[in-house]
Parts: sequence; C-alpha cells; structure tokens
Amino acid sequence: MTTAIQPAGGASGPPGGPSSSSLADVIDTILDKGLVIDAYVRLSLVGIELVTIDARVVIASVDTYLRFAEAVNRLDIANEDSKAGLPDLVDDVTSGAAKSKTQGVLDAAGEKLSDLLNQKQPQRQKATRVRSQREDR
Amino acid sequence: MTTSQETKDGADRPQADSAVYVYGIVPGDVEVEESAQGIGDPPAPVETVHEGDIAALVSVIAADRALGTPEDLQAHAKLLDGTAAVVPVLPLRFGAVMTDEDSVAEELLREHHDEFAQALKALEGQAEYVVKGRYDAEAFLTRLLSENKQARQLSDDIRNKPEDASRNSRIALGELIANAIESMRNADTKTVIDDLDGIASQVNPREPTHEWDAVHVALLAKVERQAELEEVVGRLSENAGGRMKLRLLGPLAAYDFVVTARAQG
Repeated sequence: MTTAIQPAGGASGPPGGPSSSSLADVIDTILDKGLVIDAYVRLSLVGIELVTIDARVVIASVDTYLRFAEAVNRLDIANEDSKAGLPDLVDDVTSGAAKSKTQGVLDAAGEKLSDLLNQKQPQRQKATRVRSQREDR
Repeated sequence: MTTSQETKDGADRPQADSAVYVYGIVPGDVEVEESAQGIGDPPAPVETVHEGDIAALVSVIAADRALGTPEDLQAHAKLLDGTAAVVPVLPLRFGAVMTDEDSVAEELLREHHDEFAQALKALEGQAEYVVKGRYDAEAFLTRLLSENKQARQLSDDIRNKPEDASRNSRIALGELIANAIESMRNADTKTVIDDLDGIASQVNPREPTHEWDAVHVALLAKVERQAELEEVVGRLSENAGGRMKLRLLGPLAAYDFVVTARAQG
C-alpha cells in the first residue's frame, strides 16, 4: 500500500473546520516540541545557525502586573468618559487602544522575527536569539 | 552582522556546502507528492530517504544559510501537518540538519529503526490537535472589578493618587489580576480536558504562551473523530459567551506526543 503525502494547502480541512495555524501557533509548536535530533545522532550532525525566537512568557513579573493595572486604568477612563457623554466614540477608541496594548507577546515575537529577517543579510546571519518578554523575577 | 561575503555561485556548489534537513520520519511506503514544498527560498523539493520499513522526509539545503525565516518555520509545519492528516509521522523539532543522505539512512534510521517503527505504528490513524483559548481582556477585567472588592479598592486608590505614589497599589492590583487569570485558566483547562476525555487518547496541557491565554492543550485523537472534536470545542466556545475565544488547530503532526525514552534527556 502506498500513501501519498499532500502538501497541506488551503484545500485541506472542511470549511468551518479547525482554523489554520498562524506563525505564532507554529512557533509555539515546532521550536520546542518534537523529536530532538541530538538525542539520536551524534556524528553527522550539522550545526547550522538558527534564527529563532524564544517565545516563552514568564507570566508573573512586575512588568506584567503594571501592564494589567494600566489596562484597568484605561477601562476606568473609558467608563467615566462614557458616563460623561461621548459613549460610542470613546468606547471605540479605548477598546482599540486596549487591544493594541494587550496584543500577544507571540504576535510581537512573530513581528520581531520578520523584522530581523527582513534586514537583508541573506548570507550569514549571526545566530540571533530574541528574547521577548522574558523577565526573571 | 556580516558585511559581505560573496559566495553566490549556487550552481556549481561543491558537495560539502550542502547539508540534509530532516523534517520527520514516516512509514517506508510513503511517497511524497511532487508539489510538496520544503524550507528555503525558493522552497527545496522534499525527498525521502529509505531504510528498512521506515523513511525520513528530507530536503537538501545549502549549509551556509541560517535557518528560521517565517517561511522556513511555516514550511516545516505545513509539510509535517499535511503528512499527519494522512499517514503517521514522527516530527522532528525545527532545525535538524545532517551531513548527507547516507548518514540519515545509517545513523538516524538504521540505528533507531525498531523504536521509530513502533512509534509510527502507535500513531496509526491518529493526529495531534491543539485547543487554544484566549480571554477577552476587557470582559475579564470588567467582571473582576464588579465582583472583587479588593480590586475595586486598589483601582480607586490608583486613580486618586499621582503615578509615583500609586506604584505599590498598581503592582498589587496587577498581581491580583494575574492570580485571577491563573485560577480561571486552571478551571477552564480542566473543563476542556474533561470534555475531550472521551475523544482524545492522550492529553498534554501546554504551558501558556501568552498572558491572556485561557486554555492551551494538545491532544492526540483519531483523525476520523475530528468532527466530534470540532463539535465539543464549538460547544465550549459557545458556553463561554464573550468571555473567551476557543480555536481548534489540527490535524497536526504529533509534536507533543513523540517523546521517546532517549529523547527525553
């Protein structure tokens, strides 16, 4: 029996089915999960340079706390302003702002990665580990 | 960092300048479609290296190029996830490179042949799925402030003081929020795992990777039961109202379930 491998294109999966993986989803998965080749191979390993991102987040840090508090503050301001009069407009503006502030660290990491890679140095990149949001307590 | 080092004669590159990128390991009867695309720019063709009953999915790549562009990452994931939808595959972590195809056959496949063959057999008919949930920050905070007196007091205190005088209160409020997220995350994760119990053969909760992460769970399930999975996740998402958004990713290669005794180190 022979089975063919399909490249996972847009055709896979029924409409309304699972969502496809974003770059952030992919980073979550393939950089620190899966079989580690070093565990199997010693002699013929090629140490190729990797330009990747350490995307782990340390949840509890002072910086995170301050950001949460700031989000509450924005919420309060939004509520007060809406009481004061301009409900719709202000609501829109603040929720937009809140959204951009609380955007994913991973999304940010993805962007960082793109930035890095867009600097045109196609030949030899220095192995660059970008640490995003990595505060030690 | 490098200024210029022109070695761009790709055509007559000597052998040592190429290396073999390994994506994963599949049963030996698998054939790769010609349209399958690997990593690199332009995407390298995907080939198989056979040994006994198993094979490796590989691409020949230039040895002097750093890996890790978004396209590289996506290509690695797409190839393996596309494979996982139809045949069992043992995914390697991104960035596995060996010297040449012979060493892939001998050192990787022959040395560990039985171990890999067994793992592939165990994966037959199954694939990985990931359930990801994210809290709506505004909804979460609004609810917390209305239900939690201490949060309300801290928030008032912060508003009535100049910024540098309120630092301690801001930290205390932030910590309270972080703890509230964590305990809600634990509860929601438990609910999701309980509800998936009948469908998943294995479950592996992942660490959160975002501060508003509500649920991050990998599971192994029969591909033929995907519709049931979608139904469960759809229902959970509906039950949550606007509180959190759930997504189901998959079928994916079983990245979270291929830990072998030796790889675990």
